[in-house]
Order: sequence, then C-alpha cells, then structure tokens
Amino acid sequence: MQRQIYAYRCRECGTLHYPFRMRCKECGNLEVFEFDAEPLPNKGTLVTFTHVHNLPAEYEVARLSIGAVELDGGVRVMGQLDIDEPKMGMPVRGSVEVVRREAYERYWGFVFRAA
Amino acid sequence: MRDVYVAGIGITSFGRLEYPLAEIAAYPAMMAMKDAGLTAVEQLYVANMGGGRLSHQTGLASAVVDTLSLTPAGAETIENGPASGASAIKQGYLAVASGMHDVVLVTGAERMREVNNLDATDFIATLTHPLAEYIYGVTLPAHAAMFTRLYMDKYGVTERHLAMVAVKNQNQALANEFAHLQQPITIEGILDSPEAMTNNPYVAEPLRFFDCCPVSDGGACVLLVSEEVAASVDRPRVRLAGVGQATDTHAVIERDDPTELTAVRLAAEKSLAMAGRDASTVDVAELHDAFTILEIAQSEEVGFFAKGEGHLALEKGETGLGGSMPINVSGGLKGKGHPVGATGIAQAHEIVTQLRHEAGDRQVEQATTGLTCNFGGFGNNVLCLTFTRES
Amino acid sequence: MPVDLEKILRPVDHDLPAYPAKWVTLASGDSMVIRQVGRDDIPTLLEHVEPLLHVERDYYDIVAARVYAELLAYYRHRVQDEYVLVAQIEGELAAIVNGRQVRPGLGMSLHTLALRRGLRIGAHAFAAKMEYHIDILGHDEVLIVAESPIGFRRWMIEYQLEDRFDTPHELGGVPSYALTRDLFERARAKLVVGRRPVPPELLATAAAAILPPADPPTPPADLLAATRAQYDPTGTALMSLRRLPKEVEHA
Repeated sequence: MQRQIYAYRCRECGTLHYPFRMRCKECGNLEVFEFDAEPLPNKGTLVTFTHVHNLPAEYEVARLSIGAVELDGGVRVMGQLDIDEPKMGMPVRGSVEVVRREAYERYWGFVFRAA
Repeated sequence: MRDVYVAGIGITSFGRLEYPLAEIAAYPAMMAMKDAGLTAVEQLYVANMGGGRLSHQTGLASAVVDTLSLTPAGAETIENGPASGASAIKQGYLAVASGMHDVVLVTGAERMREVNNLDATDFIATLTHPLAEYIYGVTLPAHAAMFTRLYMDKYGVTERHLAMVAVKNQNQALANEFAHLQQPITIEGILDSPEAMTNNPYVAEPLRFFDCCPVSDGGACVLLVSEEVAASVDRPRVRLAGVGQATDTHAVIERDDPTELTAVRLAAEKSLAMAGRDASTVDVAELHDAFTILEIAQSEEVGFFAKGEGHLALEKGETGLGGSMPINVSGGLKGKGHPVGATGIAQAHEIVTQLRHEAGDRQVEQATTGLTCNFGGFGNNVLCLTFTRES
Repeated sequence: MPVDLEKILRPVDHDLPAYPAKWVTLASGDSMVIRQVGRDDIPTLLEHVEPLLHVERDYYDIVAARVYAELLAYYRHRVQDEYVLVAQIEGELAAIVNGRQVRPGLGMSLHTLALRRGLRIGAHAFAAKMEYHIDILGHDEVLIVAESPIGFRRWMIEYQLEDRFDTPHELGGVPSYALTRDLFERARAKLVVGRRPVPPELLATAAAAILPPADPPTPPADLLAATRAQYDPTGTALMSLRRLPKEVEHA
C-alpha cells in the first residue's frame, strides 16, 4: 500500500493547509471540518537541514538528518533525510516511511532522498 | 488601567538545586517579600512548565502558596512553555492594573536536572508540532540549527559569530553569582584550537555544544504592586511599563519567511509602544539566547539593529557590557542557565536589578529602560516586557 | 616461604609500550596534559578518588568504588597488564582513565572518571585511552561496557560499537561491546586529537604533583534536612541579605 500524507484544502477559498488546522487562516471559515483532504506531492526542494547528534533516548542511531522541504505547489514540510551530503536548494523526492518507534508504536512520516 | 510597579525581587542560584520544586518557587518569593518588606500578598502566579512531567508534581501553585503560608490568597500555575515566566508576569500585571489586587507575587521554578540531558531535550521537544515536527525527531536544537543555516546563507552569519555570542555570554556569567556556568571559555578553545571539535562538538549542525544553553534548575520571583503600595516601599522604583505578546504558527516551517521571528517583532513593538518608548531608548536587554543564533536574530527583531545586521553589531562589541546596546549582561540563558518555567522571571529580575543600579560588576551605567524577550516554542509564543526606572 | 607465594599471586606484566604524553587546549583555553602514571602515583590518586565513593549521583559512587579497587589492584600487583592515564590541568587532576590488555591484540577498557565537569574532559580522556589501545598497544579491538545511560549513549551509540555479547566484560560480567580498528579509523578525526610533544614546562608542572581537583563532584543534599536553603550552592539567602538596606528589613 502506498502511504501518503494529507494536506487540507479549504472548501470555501481553496487554500491548502499543512499541518491540519480547524479554521482556514485565509478566509476564516467557521464551518467545522470544511476541508478536503488531499495527498501532498512527494517532490520538492530542500529549504534547510541539520544533522542532530543529541537525540531523544530511544533513537539507536548516532545522528539523524532532518530537513525542511518546499513541495511542488508550495506547501513546506519537515522530514527525515536519507542523503549523505544535503545541500540547500537540492531537488528531493519523499516517501512515507516509519520515522519513529516508541515501544510498540510506529509513526509514519516523510523520508526524503535526492531526486 | 493602573500603573504596576516591581516592589521586590528574588532569585535562586541556577544550576543543580536539590530541594523540592515548590521550595525552588517559594525561596525566591521569600526573598522578594523581604526585599519589598511586604507580606500582604493577595494573589500568586507560579510559572512552571515541567512540574507534571519532570518533577511528578501538578497543581504547583497550591503547594507554593501553602509553603509560603500565604493561604487563603489566590494561586494559579501558569504554563506557557519556555515563556511561562513572562506569561505569569503578564497575568500579575493584569491583576494589579485591573484594580483587582494590590500585591501580587509572581514566582517561577523549574527542576530539570532530575532527568538526564537527553530526556530534558525530549521533554522540551514536546513543544513542537506533534505530527508535523515531533515525530521526525525535531528538537529545539534542531529547529535552531535549521534556522541558523538559513541565517548563515542569507546574512553571512558564521560559526565564529555564534562562538562570539557564546564567549560573551558565558564569560559575562562570571560576574553573576547566581549563574549556572562559572567556567570561562575562549574562542581559541571552542573554535580555533586543533582540539576544538572535541571540546565543542556539533549538537545539531551547524550549532555546537557551546551554542546551547545548559539544562538548569532554578527559580525567580518578582513582586508586583499598585502605585499606592509602591509608594510605601523604600526601594528604587521600577515600573513594569509595557507588556507585549504575539504568537506565530505552531509548525515553524509554515511561516512565510522562516528567517523571520515575527512574533518577537510584534511583541517588542507592542511592549515598547505601551511603555511609550522605542528600541533606541532601551539601555539594557535580556534576550532569550537558548541558542546563540537567537540572540543575534532577536537583537534585530526587537529593533536594536537592522535585519541581518545583528552579527555586525556583535563584531563591533556593541552588544557587550560597555557597548551601545548591552545584551544579556547577566550571562543570558546561555551563561546564567535556562530553568524553563523561571526564565522569563529571571530575565525580569536582571532588568530590575540593573534599573535599581544594584548589578555590581555587570552594571550598565545609568540604565533607566530595560527590555526582556521571553521566547516560547520556536517563536510560537513570545512575550516582551519593558521596565522603566521612575525618579 | 612468603616470597614464593607472592610470586604465585603476582601476575607477570607484559612489557607494553608506554603512552606518550600529549596535550590539548580546552574550551576554557587551559592546557590539559594527558599522560600515563606508574604505581608510584597510585596512592595520590586513591586519595582523590576516595571522596567520590560517597557521591551517590550520576554513577560516581559505583565508578569511584570500582576505580579505587582497580587502582589498588594495580598498585599491589593483583591485576595483569593494567595501565592508568591521567588528565591534568596545571597539575590538578581532571580525569582518570584505565584499562588493561586481555591478551595481545585485545584490550579492555575499564573506567573513565572525570573530576571536573563542563569542559568535555571525559571525552578527551576516553579518546586518549582508545588511541593507546589501537595505535600504541596495537590492539585489534577494545572491549567496552557502560555503567550509566549517558555513557552508553556516548560510547555505544555514538561510535556504533559492535556487539561482543558472548564475551562477558570484567566489569560485572555484562555483555561486551567492542570498538574495532575499523570503527576507530572511521572516528579517528574525533578520537585522536591533541599535540606532541608536550612543552617541557607543561609536562614538568604535571609531573611535579598530582593536585586534588578544585571543584570535584559532591554528594547530593540530604532531602530530609529541615532547612534546604543551605544547599543552595552560592548561598542565595546570605547574598540577598547583604544587598538589602537595613531599614527595609523593618518595613
């Protein structure tokens, strides 16, 4: 199954939101849940990144690369990077994978690789 | 609205405190009451972020009011992340300004060293957006690092500038007996020596160990009073003249320009306007340098320097003691320490000490106007407070 | 005959190459010398380790107790092929690290005890120990375990040490991890730092005396004590009183 991450398009004014918010920040629509979920594109460019060395205790890796990506269409998201030497502005392609485990819980999110 | 004055202040040492959380909050409160010579407290606000999680204690205000034998005064715990301290001061301001109370005790405390540094970092990371940030392993150092990289790219800030902030603030802490770090550092040791990468390893590239504030225990208190009560207190008169607050998107990367800290700019504008001042009239400032880059960025957003020029002012020494705009002469969060719930109040404590002209070796000459910036989340929720010395 | 019995009890040390002293510049700008010490220096070290037996926090008590025993065993010839390195700042003892050779080609790291905090002294001392095992003693790998979560995070995860779970470590018999030559080479830039030779005057100061740590870790406060303020390390109460003008106290 192809997993995807959804953004939320306001039914009133068409503004796309990510992450979810209850009320449209553009038109201020007060109708509850007046959004259509739509999958985020998986291609974009790397805006900024870091390699984190002091990780929360449950991570069993020495460092974790995290970046912010501007997806095609303009929505920006965070994700983990599987890129040896990231560069700002480089094109990347994301897929949805397990990004964190806590005991028996698994959390899915974007992992970006060089496109 | 009535004018609000700071009649008394108190603070604990920052570092590792091995007494209960409620006492870390109560101890500076005792000092503040003694300082002002006032005990007729009608209301307490207790700023704390992690009592429930780090110290296994909730309802902290109830414990503090009783520890101080101030029952049946009103008491609330205020949690607003790392901006809890300034938020509690804002509540105290409202209580006095509205006329509801004449004497309000605002105290803050945090006990973070009960857990190890990694757990403390994870605890702070719970401030981030749970779905869009936290799950990826985004920590506050990670946010600051990604912000730093953008800032370096756009404005030419370098690791050397960051190291200069670290050295300035950590060494300034040596003049502050309450500061957590009492260990001088040098540019050579953290940046230039062949061993610098081991002395000062990356925490989240390009931020290094000495770019980050320590994890501290600590408490601080200000006693806020009405004008009539202030008139009966024989201490230099310092007025809480401006309170400004602004919020921004929870997910940091959603902001239109991720190199701007809009909430800082708006909070400072509101605070200074309320006090009838502008940034050029500020004599001394305590900014929220949880990471060295934040001092540079905030010094621009609050209006001391043009956007992108904070690091140039730093190079010229303008932000040091004796410079044209001294910032974090207490050592800042970087040198003094960052017990999250208490930090906003500790910043106010320093400014009041400066405006009373009682700061000793770190006194900014003739200071009459001071500004604090207490930065919650990664700029999600920011308060700026303006204090003025009244003759 | 007692002499003969001592011959049985006393292990024969191999003739191992000595650790060449080096020096590093710390974040504070201070110069720190890392050098090997011999049996003659052990009584002085024991004096400085002993107070830490009672520091029941951050694993200082267990680490100090074990280091004390290891140093004593070395001093009294009851352990084979142990070595002890010390880190000193202007003579003052900043860290002790020790280990031993299990057999040619295989080393075992014992302890890293930092007596001054906030300057990454433990990281420097641990790195020197790894350098000694791999580069100087020519070991192919070093067996390592941690007693504290922070130690585990720092060594096992940061260097991605390999499992040697079939080999119990001499520290408590727990499963070992290993820093292999290959892992060492990959982390060489981080592990092998410092300069040689040590300037003669710096080395002379270090060799002249191993001075006690000025600000060693101290035991936690007694939480049952009636007055907690006395444990505030800078004595906030006293300072606040000092600052107050007299008349205010009577207001």
